[in-house]
Amino acid sequence: MSLLLETDDLGKSFGGLTAVADLNLAVPHGCVAGLMGPNGAGKTTVINLLSGLLRADRGRVLLDGVPMQGLPPHHIAAAGIARTYQNVRLFSGMTVLEQVMAGCFLRRGTSLMASFLGLPAARAAHRAVQSHALDLLDRVGMADRAEELAETLSYGEQRRIEIARALGSNPKLLLLDEPTAGMNAQESDGIGRLVHALRDGGMTVLMVEHNVRLVMDFCDRVTVMNFGRALANGTPAECMAHPDVQAAYFGRADDAERIRSLR
Amino acid sequence: MKMWLEDIWAAYGSTLGFGMVNAFFALSTYAVLSAGILSFATVTYAAAGGFLGTQLALHLGLPVFLVLPAAALIGAALAFVVALVFLRLESHWMALASLALVLITRVVALNATPLTGGVYGLSVPLFFPFAGLVVLLGVVAVVFWRLNQSWYGIAARAVREDPAVASTLGIPPRRIQTIAFVVSGATGGIGGMALALSLQFLSPDTYFINIAFTMIAAVVLGGSYHWAGAILGAFVFTALPVVAQAVLPEFEKVLNGVALLLIMIFLPRGLIDPRFWRLRKSAKS
Repeated sequence: MSLLLETDDLGKSFGGLTAVADLNLAVPHGCVAGLMGPNGAGKTTVINLLSGLLRADRGRVLLDGVPMQGLPPHHIAAAGIARTYQNVRLFSGMTVLEQVMAGCFLRRGTSLMASFLGLPAARAAHRAVQSHALDLLDRVGMADRAEELAETLSYGEQRRIEIARALGSNPKLLLLDEPTAGMNAQESDGIGRLVHALRDGGMTVLMVEHNVRLVMDFCDRVTVMNFGRALANGTPAECMAHPDVQAAYFGRADDAERIRSLR
Repeated sequence: MKMWLEDIWAAYGSTLGFGMVNAFFALSTYAVLSAGILSFATVTYAAAGGFLGTQLALHLGLPVFLVLPAAALIGAALAFVVALVFLRLESHWMALASLALVLITRVVALNATPLTGGVYGLSVPLFFPFAGLVVLLGVVAVVFWRLNQSWYGIAARAVREDPAVASTLGIPPRRIQTIAFVVSGATGGIGGMALALSLQFLSPDTYFINIAFTMIAAVVLGGSYHWAGAILGAFVFTALPVVAQAVLPEFEKVLNGVALLLIMIFLPRGLIDPRFWRLRKSAKS
């Protein structure tokens, strides 16, 4: 399988703190990749580096072999990377439909000037985008709430709107930062099924996820991080069985011995 | 009946005229605010539009109805240059820099004597019919309505609420904000020329802090989330002192302040607030 996303010794420090060090990710086309790790492992920093909100100190990011590092976020978005946020970041004052319309900016199919003048072609394009936005809302089960103010909806609903907004640009790679945070098991499975449907439609997904069951059920590949470095790469089962991963999550075996001897 | 109307016109006609001039200034402020920028540079665009527009009419014989579009072009060109510099600054520094620009504007107006008449000011012996001003405000309002309806409007709202998120959706914040500056410049230039035509005289103090105060107050009052708020706010803010003067002359200033305070306390997002309507609509459904 050819790689859609590759990072090459990616590194980022904040002052003396190394958030990401020598990270090598490899995400093949049409795969659901998981990014796991304890709190503070650097997962969200990776998402910020990939989407261009943060500039890497070292290393490269390749999308379909094209270097992305150092480009402004809107160029990276145009190249085909879309994302959601760990703490939902919808636009205040906008309806659900308007949020997704904003996400469709890249595929508006008309110039700003033509749209301003209200030319017939621009109007037709606008209607087409609007119906596309409604389709996307339908995919995440929010079409019947299209006219409501997004900030009045529940957290889980806002997360789904954010996914629809990210899908607006029809990205090659979708980055989801803890898409199921604050959701119950049923809602989480809904997100998992949505992610599978997107993959089956040809999209590639990289998601930061804490829920181990969800990663086991829905991810094809996993990278586990700790202290900014990759501890393990592989299928979810391989990663869970990896001794370093178990140590990062549950502590070291000899620590357990020592605790026993203290009793 | 006719007498009565004439009395009203004699008493409040000029208030209406200044309300319209202030509406241009408020719209100019709204233009940048709607893309997430607080800038007082409208005063500078107004000065450039007013002084240069007047000179074009006096020395090149440009007809009055062409002077206003010329002032719009002058303001827009100046705003484009301002945007190139200002968009490198963080938002609060940008606001401060624009205040500095207002101060510089006055110094230039004082010293560029051939252009501005310096300390003696510049007489503007031009006549522009009141109806012309109404039509012009109507045209500018249509422009703002179209901007709001178009892809630019969607992008500007996103940039205003969260420029980082907007950029990850592929919306280029700098480009959107540059357009906002140019629109602000054109509207401010028209406002400056309209003020010159209303006052028939320009001095270095014509375009100064008082305009900056008026336009911010008008936008806060009317609501900074809809272009109609800027227009309404400008009229209310212009009429308030006049009405207060007529009703309770002794307490004019107090009444003014109380009215502004009441609006800010009970309608913090201004008289026209689209979000409020939507919340009500959401609550009903």
